[in-house]
Amino acid sequence: MPDRRTFIAGMLAAGLAPRPTWADAGSPAFLSAGKKPDGAYVLCGLTTEGQITFQLPLPTRGHAAAAHPRLAEAVAFARRPGTYAIVLDCITGREKARLSAPPGRHFYGHGTYSADGDVLFTTENDFDAARGVVGIWDARRDFARMGEFPSGGVGPHDIKLMPDGASLVVANGGIETHPETGRVKLNIPSMRSTLSYLSLDGELLGQVRLDKAHQKNSIRHLAVSATGDVAFAMQWQGDLAVDLPLLGVHRIETGRLDLVERASVRHMSGYLGSVAIAKDGKSIAATSPRAGIVQEFAGAEYVGETSIADVCGVAAAASGFVLTSGAGLVKPPSGPDVLHDVAWDNHLIAI
Amino acid sequence: MMRRLLCSFLIFAASPLAAADDFDITAIVETHVVPRYEMLAGQTQALAREASVGCSAAAPDTAPGLLSAYHAAFDAWVGVGHLRFGPSEQDDRAFALAFWPDPRGSTPKALAGLVKSRDAAVNAPDEFAEISVAARGFYALEFLLFDAQFAQPRDAAYRCALIQAVTKDISSNAAAILAGWQNGYGALMSNPGNDTYRTPAEAAKQLFTALSTGLEFTSLTRLGRPMGTYDRPRPNRAEARRSERSLRHVLLSLAATRELTELISAGNEAVDKAFADAIQRAEALDDPTLAGVADPQGRFRVEVLQQSIDVIRRILSQEIGPELGIAAGFNSLDGD
Repeated sequence: MPDRRTFIAGMLAAGLAPRPTWADAGSPAFLSAGKKPDGAYVLCGLTTEGQITFQLPLPTRGHAAAAHPRLAEAVAFARRPGTYAIVLDCITGREKARLSAPPGRHFYGHGTYSADGDVLFTTENDFDAARGVVGIWDARRDFARMGEFPSGGVGPHDIKLMPDGASLVVANGGIETHPETGRVKLNIPSMRSTLSYLSLDGELLGQVRLDKAHQKNSIRHLAVSATGDVAFAMQWQGDLAVDLPLLGVHRIETGRLDLVERASVRHMSGYLGSVAIAKDGKSIAATSPRAGIVQEFAGAEYVGETSIADVCGVAAAASGFVLTSGAGLVKPPSGPDVLHDVAWDNHLIAI
Repeated sequence: MMRRLLCSFLIFAASPLAAADDFDITAIVETHVVPRYEMLAGQTQALAREASVGCSAAAPDTAPGLLSAYHAAFDAWVGVGHLRFGPSEQDDRAFALAFWPDPRGSTPKALAGLVKSRDAAVNAPDEFAEISVAARGFYALEFLLFDAQFAQPRDAAYRCALIQAVTKDISSNAAAILAGWQNGYGALMSNPGNDTYRTPAEAAKQLFTALSTGLEFTSLTRLGRPMGTYDRPRPNRAEARRSERSLRHVLLSLAATRELTELISAGNEAVDKAFADAIQRAEALDDPTLAGVADPQGRFRVEVLQQSIDVIRRILSQEIGPELGIAAGFNSLDGD
């Protein structure tokens, strides 16, 4: 007797069924890329309790993923400087489409859908001009390239849709790289990172640039609350002897900017890997795989921290946070920890 | 959430780096790091001196003394190129000494701009220290000394002033790095328990990371860049090929990282043999600019050399690192 998933897959193959939703994929709450003990790379669906709902092969090491807001469809991005991303049907595991970066561009590993899921936005490097761009892809038409616009800086990394559904926030890390030189950083002495707000057609709506002391602080990862607070996690590119914060919270409406002292270069080994804001909009969690620490804040106020080896992925659950580590750990907000034979890659993406 | 986390994960916090105490950080600072930076400071001072006498508007053709000083000073730089932390990173000194790789050709562009405008920054060291790092350091100097683009007779006097400014800037950066090590940083590293190095394990980890990164750079960038792809090798991307130093840099960096490896993992025969293999293969190449990558046979030989360096890297990351308690995490090493 075929179960519901097999049944739907069969219907799909026959072109009969409506397009399957996340419920049909076992209702995963999160996506994460990972690496299996045999060296194979996968994209997995995870429940809040830490159970794997699906596990699909990826050709190379993943980084982040983007989940369609409704359909059981995810875009898995190759690790920087990848030139392709794969759109997966999370029911059948079938590759629905493959995004190839246009000539002269590569992906940075992050992207986001529009609120209706019709358009995908990706961060990309226009490497011969050392300029960041946001690529626009038509999710309704096999991910045809629709165009691009400047990201507002160099080295865009994370990108998130703002709660108004009409604007994007981009972490322009500020670091120039070129595919000829792999991941070598080419402009550290002159780098400047920005947090840029853009309309969906590329108009620059606002930009945050930290003061000169932060010249080597690279804004990389973002979390956005339902009310529009943007938490940004940074990576310090200088010597670790300085003591500057690696976490900030910004609100474009008021222009208020808070830097979170306790998430310091020294304490967090100069490197935050991921950041998340809880559903209540107040609690913020930031991870450092290098320090092996996850910190929690209420707004900018320090709440506490925990040591977890190689912790990196973090995402908001219905209440609290789920954490993942490179050692295979999934730590739900309540209930027992779960250990899988998958080294969880950098990011845990909430669906 | 946090209280529960605190209870259940103390076990991870205790993960030890005790074995890292096994090697002598003071000895590494005193016999490896500082002598090499002393060498760099001395050779670059000599280079600046040669430039001040060996090149003038009246005699723009570069004097042999200047060229040999260039090679000796560049050798000294490659000998410390893996020691990129602390004083070398302050005020972007190492970047100002060595801006390479340069995929967008920023160095020749920046130099051409200075030459064209006859930029007066060459007359004021303070001002020169503020110009783009692409126009400073050893790789810029190589263009000035060896590239035909900068050998126009009408530019001779300015080129000479530029060579003097570049060498003076190199020398003052090298002196500042050495001073940083001698006047404090060496002690911070040798005596952990301070704000920079809280524990011996942190200092050990820094040295191990420098070693690994140095070997990675030689494999992926020094060799990988000219290798390009099988269908499209890129001999013109070889490091310092104009002065025929590409292979020399591979050898010098192998020698320097071998010295550090011996201090970190005395008695590991496998890694010592792997270094001997790689050095032997590099010496056997007999191809100073790595131009051989242009044909399949030559490229194959360079690839074999690259693989032999990757054997060293594997022993370090899979045997020596874990033995020292310096295991690299999947995410902590990713850097994204």
